[in-house]
Amino acid sequence: MSVQRPPVRPPEPENIVLQARDVRFDWSDVPLHWIPRDPVATHLINVLHMLLPAGEEWFVKVFKEAVPYVRDDRLREDVLGFIGQEAMHASSHDAVLDHFVEQGLDVRPFVRQVEFVFEDLLGDRGLTGDRKRAWLFERIALIAAIEHFTGVLGDWILNAKALDEAGADPMMLDLLRWHGAEEVEHRHVAHDLFMHLDGSYAARLRAMGETITMLGALWHRGHRFLMARDPIVRGRIKGGMRHLRRTGPAGLTPSGRMVGASVRRYLSRTYSPLNEGSTSQALAYLAASPAARAALR
Amino acid sequence: MIPPDLRGRRERDPFWVAVNAAFNGIQRFRSLRAPALPAVSPVDRTMRLTVLEVRREADDVVSLRLGAADGRVLPGWQPGGHLDVLLPSGRRRQYSLCGDPADRRAYRIAVRRLPEGGGGSVEMHELREGDAVAVQGPRNAFPFLAHERYAFVAGGIGITPILPMVTAADRFGADWSLVYTGRTRASLPFLDELPAGRVTVRTDDEGGAPSAADLLGDVPDGTAVYCCGPAPMIDAVRASVGLDATLHYERFAPPPIVGGRPFEVELRRSGRVLPVPADRSALDVIRDALPDVAYSCRQGFCGTCRTGVLSGAVHDRAPSDQGDDSMLVCVSRATGGRITLDL
Repeated sequence: MSVQRPPVRPPEPENIVLQARDVRFDWSDVPLHWIPRDPVATHLINVLHMLLPAGEEWFVKVFKEAVPYVRDDRLREDVLGFIGQEAMHASSHDAVLDHFVEQGLDVRPFVRQVEFVFEDLLGDRGLTGDRKRAWLFERIALIAAIEHFTGVLGDWILNAKALDEAGADPMMLDLLRWHGAEEVEHRHVAHDLFMHLDGSYAARLRAMGETITMLGALWHRGHRFLMARDPIVRGRIKGGMRHLRRTGPAGLTPSGRMVGASVRRYLSRTYSPLNEGSTSQALAYLAASPAARAALR
Repeated sequence: MIPPDLRGRRERDPFWVAVNAAFNGIQRFRSLRAPALPAVSPVDRTMRLTVLEVRREADDVVSLRLGAADGRVLPGWQPGGHLDVLLPSGRRRQYSLCGDPADRRAYRIAVRRLPEGGGGSVEMHELREGDAVAVQGPRNAFPFLAHERYAFVAGGIGITPILPMVTAADRFGADWSLVYTGRTRASLPFLDELPAGRVTVRTDDEGGAPSAADLLGDVPDGTAVYCCGPAPMIDAVRASVGLDATLHYERFAPPPIVGGRPFEVELRRSGRVLPVPADRSALDVIRDALPDVAYSCRQGFCGTCRTGVLSGAVHDRAPSDQGDDSMLVCVSRATGGRITLDL
């Protein structure tokens, strides 16, 4: 009889306490086209750097406002952990933007537009009473829909071997994977918060529709902007989402097909974010991430 | 304010003019009807358990087995998990689960009595069999992941989360080792429960305080280092683990306050004045009064708890905390006297 290893490996971790991680990055040696010889794929991902600082600061603001409505100790802890992680994401991506500007890629006009979306369009609106609360919950539904995508993209980047094979810059990959892993780690929080406070299926549908429209438009415009402004490309290649038809199957960016399939899962009434991505994979990455290890506290 | 277009030709980008009109139109249309807001149903996460057994495990250490009075199955847990114990005095303490995860009718925790501590451990040591305890959880801040090779490092009562990990690693046939340190052998709990063979016990009375090399030795690439113990021990291990190994440690609590001085916080909105003792952070004191105040890392890096300072001088303790018009209340303090916060 052969001796086999008993199949009692540690199970998928559950009930994880969310904590912000202090991280350190040094952008000085990261090239502008951090996926070598592929500015198109580089900039498809770079759009994220322009969306995230304003977007995640908005998450933090909205979630802080939601804390007093939470009537569940455990969810409150999750929300507070989520806020700290998002705040660290926002400031880390912000530093990348400064590095772009130093390299002659002035992203400020586009960032200004992103700020308009999150600070004006989705800002406070000067409401009071029930309307103020309804608008708060509506925005939480939007964050839950956006967080569906960040979780799916986080899972994608953790598994994107094609980026390593293409020689992508390790510091940039670490930023994206640290961020992606935390997105996978806290992927249930925004959905749980929305279900706790409101839970309306109509609001979830509406939020997903708005999110797809808004993110699609921002991504398309952001990529066109970066390709036009890039000091090396200088507009010789026109940007836009059509490039996903090459970069998606090549594994250099998420593919439309994968994102589309995840949206269909989101629309199910039995959707659970925990079925997207792997907590153990995310936690294993975080235990190894050079940026998370560099901050010796 | 609608932003200029991306080429700097127009002051208001027509794209955003259109989006703004459409989005505002939707919101205005929706606001014709008064919002229907469902009531938020409260979720009670507290379990009321009974102390089933108290056992002395080592000098100053007792273990407590907690279970439901009716013997029902309790929520499951995984190695590294902990319970929040809500003490009658109002204190809330977290204790690692150190029993067998397969035992679904009882949780075991162990507590070292620290007479100089915050009082929680003394209170825990007063519990007797049959006493009622309120707990929340289990939750996990120290998840145990699948690896081929583990190096466990435990200091004293830090063995509690490590013990179920060692047992699990041994059971599934991983390559593992444990270095277990403490003042004396008599102060180390659970020595008799550790699987034999790969445990190195190292006590200060025999070998002096351990160096990082004593704790870790040579760690082959790909090893997962799991470490739990006093803060200086974790720092020593962190500093000596190479990037080819992964490092896992529990980040329960913020580091203790060193050299803090008492001061007073005045909350502008209510006018209340709260005394902050030398050994507590302003955040902890404010949370007692305002349970919904937002915070996160409690270590001064995430910036969530940044609060406007209306008067008084701030002693900034976090690198990201600069200027006198705001402060991170989780770490920064007043230089003395009173500060007024925009809360």
